[in-house]
Amino acid sequence: APAAKMAALGGGAPWRRGWLPALQLVRRGSKAVTRHWKAMHFQRQKLMAVTEYLRPRPAVPPRCLAPRKEVVEEDNGGVRLLRRQVEEVFRDNRMIAVCQYNSMPGEDVVLMRHYLRKHNIEVKFVLNEIVRPVLSQSKYKNLLPLFVARNILLVSPETKVKEMLRVLKGVPQINLLGACIDDTILSRQGVENFAKLPSLETTQGQTVGALALLPSQTSSLLQRGSAHLAALLDQHIRQLQAGEPGSPADPTPPQSSGDH
Amino acid sequence: QKMASKIRVVLRPVKSIVVRFCPFESNVESTRKFLGYINHKKIQATNRNCEVTADVRHDGSEPLVDVMFADGERLVMKGANLTTIEMLTALGSRCSAKDLKEEQKSKKRSP
Repeated sequence: APAAKMAALGGGAPWRRGWLPALQLVRRGSKAVTRHWKAMHFQRQKLMAVTEYLRPRPAVPPRCLAPRKEVVEEDNGGVRLLRRQVEEVFRDNRMIAVCQYNSMPGEDVVLMRHYLRKHNIEVKFVLNEIVRPVLSQSKYKNLLPLFVARNILLVSPETKVKEMLRVLKGVPQINLLGACIDDTILSRQGVENFAKLPSLETTQGQTVGALALLPSQTSSLLQRGSAHLAALLDQHIRQLQAGEPGSPADPTPPQSSGDH
Repeated sequence: QKMASKIRVVLRPVKSIVVRFCPFESNVESTRKFLGYINHKKIQATNRNCEVTADVRHDGSEPLVDVMFADGERLVMKGANLTTIEMLTALGSRCSAKDLKEEQKSKKRSP
């Protein structure tokens, strides 16, 4: 029947004139939208298969091309500020200690900061990516290998190493790696030795005493020979006097002192 | 990339851990990160009795992790050529194996 109608019309869209199918395939009343899964009409299936999304792929996979070195020259204002702060820190403080920070409970951090601030030591949390370029350009190149994993810096204008070591001993989760005191890089051993050193005044006093010791001995050293001779002669006189009481005093002592 | 925090290490069978390294060397990165991960709250919470000590030296010796277990066994890991994740998984596998053994033993004793 559809073919006959098409032939009668003679061209034109065959489905336009409101053609109702003679056989409506409604047998058991399954509508278009069902609660169970219903397979798509075959034509629809074909359409969906043809119009599937194909991801646009480059002709050559990016792995085969030479790697493009993306120069990251962002240099945010924030990063610059942090770098400036780090440079300031290195310039202003005499003592900088680098410690490894393993996660500590918050109250412990606050307590530790409190104790250290009493000794005028400040605790600074630093990011490696900021510190590394600053260090590589300054003269502290040997501190570079220290800045791996999480670190904190303990900075202070005074060198109160003993108190710092005591506080750090009480905190097990912070490990002292090294320090830079008065532009001298010290390892942990060095820091402990530094703590054991006496203060500057005592060392100065000791040096002065050692230096003054030698000149004080010089005068006695020079006079030792003649003093020894004089003592020997005195003893000789006493022996003679003891042996012969009443005999005249020997003229030898004035002669020997005249020789010198 | 906190991959290593997904590796759960149960420190119950461990008595003590000593991590030795020389911070001025260049091969200590993984050992230091390992130390950092062990000191995390969650892993410390599995065993409060486990003592973690860090031995910081300056004699050019290689980084070392020395683990003493409660049943007398000893695990020595030389971290110079190991990554953090390898070390953590090795420790974690041994810990869980020992844990299972202990659980089985306790189950056998008290049926």
